[in-house]
Amino acid sequence: MHKQITYTGMIWLLAAQVVVMLPFLFDLPIWLLPVLLFAAGWRLRVLSGAALQPGNVIKALLIVLGIGGLVLSGLKFPSLDAMATLLLLGFAFKSLEVAQRRDALVVIFIGYFLVALHFLYAQSITAALYGMVSMIVLTGALVGVQQSVAEFSAGQQVRFNLRLSVFMLLQCLPLMLVIFVFAPRLPPLWSLPMPTGQAKMGVSDRMAPGDIEKLSQSDALAFRVTFKGKKPAQHELYWRGMVFNHFDGREWRQFERDIDPQQVQSALLTNYRWQPDALRLQGEPIAYEAVYEKTGQPWLFTLTPAVDVEGDVLRGADYRVMARQDLQAPFLLKAVSYPDSQRDLALAPELRQLALHLPETGDARTRDLAQQLWRETGTEQAYLDRVLARFRDQRFEYTLKPPTLSASDTIDAFLFESQRGFCAHYAGSFVFLMRAAGIPARVVVGYQGGEWNAAGDYLAIHQYDAHAWAEVWLTGQGWVRIDPTTMVAPSRTEQGLEAAMQAEGSFLADSMFSVRKIAWLNGIRQQLDTVQYGWRRWVLGYDGAEQAALLKSLLGTFSVQGVALLMGGGLQRLACCGWCCWG
Amino acid sequence: MWSAVNMVEALRGHWENWVQQRLPAARVTTLNQRKIFIVPSKTAVGLLMLIALLFLLGINFQNSLVYIICFWLLSLLLLTIFYTWRNLAGLTLTALGVEPCFAGEKAVLEVELTRPAHQPKYALELAWEGEDQVQVDLVTAQTLRVKLSHSTSGRGYFKPPRLRIATQFPTGLALAWSYVTFDVRGLVYPAPVEKAFQPSGNAQRENVADGREIAGGSNDFGGIRDYQQGDGSKRIHWAKYAQTGKLYTKTFVDYASHALWLEWDELPMPGIEVRLSHLCRKVLEFHQEQREYGLRIPGILIEPGKGEAHKARCLQALALFGVQDA
Repeated sequence: MHKQITYTGMIWLLAAQVVVMLPFLFDLPIWLLPVLLFAAGWRLRVLSGAALQPGNVIKALLIVLGIGGLVLSGLKFPSLDAMATLLLLGFAFKSLEVAQRRDALVVIFIGYFLVALHFLYAQSITAALYGMVSMIVLTGALVGVQQSVAEFSAGQQVRFNLRLSVFMLLQCLPLMLVIFVFAPRLPPLWSLPMPTGQAKMGVSDRMAPGDIEKLSQSDALAFRVTFKGKKPAQHELYWRGMVFNHFDGREWRQFERDIDPQQVQSALLTNYRWQPDALRLQGEPIAYEAVYEKTGQPWLFTLTPAVDVEGDVLRGADYRVMARQDLQAPFLLKAVSYPDSQRDLALAPELRQLALHLPETGDARTRDLAQQLWRETGTEQAYLDRVLARFRDQRFEYTLKPPTLSASDTIDAFLFESQRGFCAHYAGSFVFLMRAAGIPARVVVGYQGGEWNAAGDYLAIHQYDAHAWAEVWLTGQGWVRIDPTTMVAPSRTEQGLEAAMQAEGSFLADSMFSVRKIAWLNGIRQQLDTVQYGWRRWVLGYDGAEQAALLKSLLGTFSVQGVALLMGGGLQRLACCGWCCWG
Repeated sequence: MWSAVNMVEALRGHWENWVQQRLPAARVTTLNQRKIFIVPSKTAVGLLMLIALLFLLGINFQNSLVYIICFWLLSLLLLTIFYTWRNLAGLTLTALGVEPCFAGEKAVLEVELTRPAHQPKYALELAWEGEDQVQVDLVTAQTLRVKLSHSTSGRGYFKPPRLRIATQFPTGLALAWSYVTFDVRGLVYPAPVEKAFQPSGNAQRENVADGREIAGGSNDFGGIRDYQQGDGSKRIHWAKYAQTGKLYTKTFVDYASHALWLEWDELPMPGIEVRLSHLCRKVLEFHQEQREYGLRIPGILIEPGKGEAHKARCLQALALFGVQDA
């Protein structure tokens, strides 16, 4: 008895469903929306007495339609998206047959689950605040379905339930925080499919002319870095990501064949493994923490060489650092780099071969130029200087609007005809010239520089900081970083892209309105960004390692017994409370 | 198997004893810490499963916000125990009384609920196991009267069994309850038979009106008059005859000429309960017809009378006939 839900209880339930479903519409197939609206509309008609509860035939039809839509929308099985879509469908349809309190509880519990599930898609402060609102409405509905004899009007009930829900959830906060800080953090038990319905962001794993320019139009954040000590000079901040060894005449790629990140990962674990012995540490260490935004890709960007790294990452023989999984959430990495170190004083033959590879044919003029310059100079260093000087002295231009190059002989077209290009053009043609003269070289992409946020004492690296440069292997020096772009636009590495593009006026030209251009607004933007960073670093980035560090600072020395004592004390107190209530 | 059943029985008995000691019968009971039991509900078990699922989700996706939702719900579950407990605490239940009824009908207990000031109570469920239950709110009013009915089987006293008062408010995740035993009792009259037995020939109620002798002697001496033919020899005033030599007949102020007597002994059927049921029906009939009637059952004699109070007196006598605990 009294298991029937009242009209207002049903309205609560419906409101909760709509609130929970809304944010998913940004990530999941759009046809969910009409389905949800249909279910909600029918439910409302049933409530107002205008329609009957749908019969079994209609229910079965709806389920078939839903699953059909799921199949047609091309979601992969099994994937998180498919699961989320299925759950949402069930969530929407369940509302059609809710009559008893038990059905309502099922709906509310699925709602709670969906709120958490959405955090796999979005983790911003806004998403978290929205999640909070969803929690309040769901809890309000939980109260709503318990009420059977309404002593208040519907309006009063809404106010009452909302206030009660907010009160209870706020009162839960301290306990929730304590559990959040002290509950054990375990490593993943098994691997699960990640959300896939999202575009990959940031530097891509291949580089054709024009790719990085596109990235330069985005002021989206790539990652933020806090330095333990002093920040290195701006022009030293080369955030190294991927290494491109293979050139097909047009595109630079990591490997000869297109291989996916999983294959890259297995290569890094086998014959392309990180060789600490090849490294000769020199100079001052730079310790820093980076929090990477989600990109849907596994690439990480560090100062090279990163020697000590903390985090779930892999390193390769080419000094790259790579996450084990695509970044679907902000990712924290702690690293210590020794930028002055010497790398690979002796170059392994297969690496040398990789760094000398050129296409069989094509770009004949460039090959001729290389032969000619090599004959004139004769040594690696002199040749290198000559090539760089050529970039500096000839009429090369650094531009975000390079002309479109022909499909073949792109290096020739750039070096001898247009002579206008972005970093990718300079890095690519430079490495080509080096290899054509028999000097091992490779293209490196990543980010250069970053915006210093004085309010939060950290460096923010945006997509427009994306950069490509080169590494050359010189006898007796190992791998040396060369940035041919600086020959053309010295201000690029000193002051950043905005300064380098001042004359052209093309920096973020596509964004209609940029707060960066107004000083006080920019100040507010930086303050907000500081808050965001704190969120990333301390809330989203709170993991087992952070917990251990915190406990260590709280308890002096970190020990299992200490944690057990602390937890035990809490439990005892809880038990005491329980006993008081009981007896 | 036997021993298991036995043990369950023993435990149940133990529990009953414990509850009775802890929650003694009283007319007024205020629910306090000692009296309120609280456990997580079935819904809470469902929520705990959800929390475990969320914890796994948080682990496998290493997602802090999922952890937060997980721990938030856990905190809510714990907090709600307190909320639910508080929704019951401080409530005072006063038994106002049990209305009399006939056996087989429902006895109605009236209870007054009083809440402390500034502590509205929601969705309180008062219930007798397998019997009446009612859900009430105490929001604007501070007191509320509730009537609960309970079936009865035999006549005698109805002692309201342990009343369960429970609430799951606000979230349904915890169940707080208490038992209240009220120190009141109500009368249960015998169930009246459908149709009363009608004596054949000289009916019970006619035996007075036709001037026959009245058994028992409830009539008072009224006076004397001249002897008339046909007056019974027993009614001749022999003393006066001795004095005067003239026959006089005694007359009596005869109440019974209007009042009716319900006689236990004159009922032809056997069995105590059957007789009581018949008498009960008669009482109701006479009361209905607004007649005067008296009742005589072994050990009890009620002079003729009429009206509600008289009826109640008669019915009470019938209800409690032979009941030890009177």
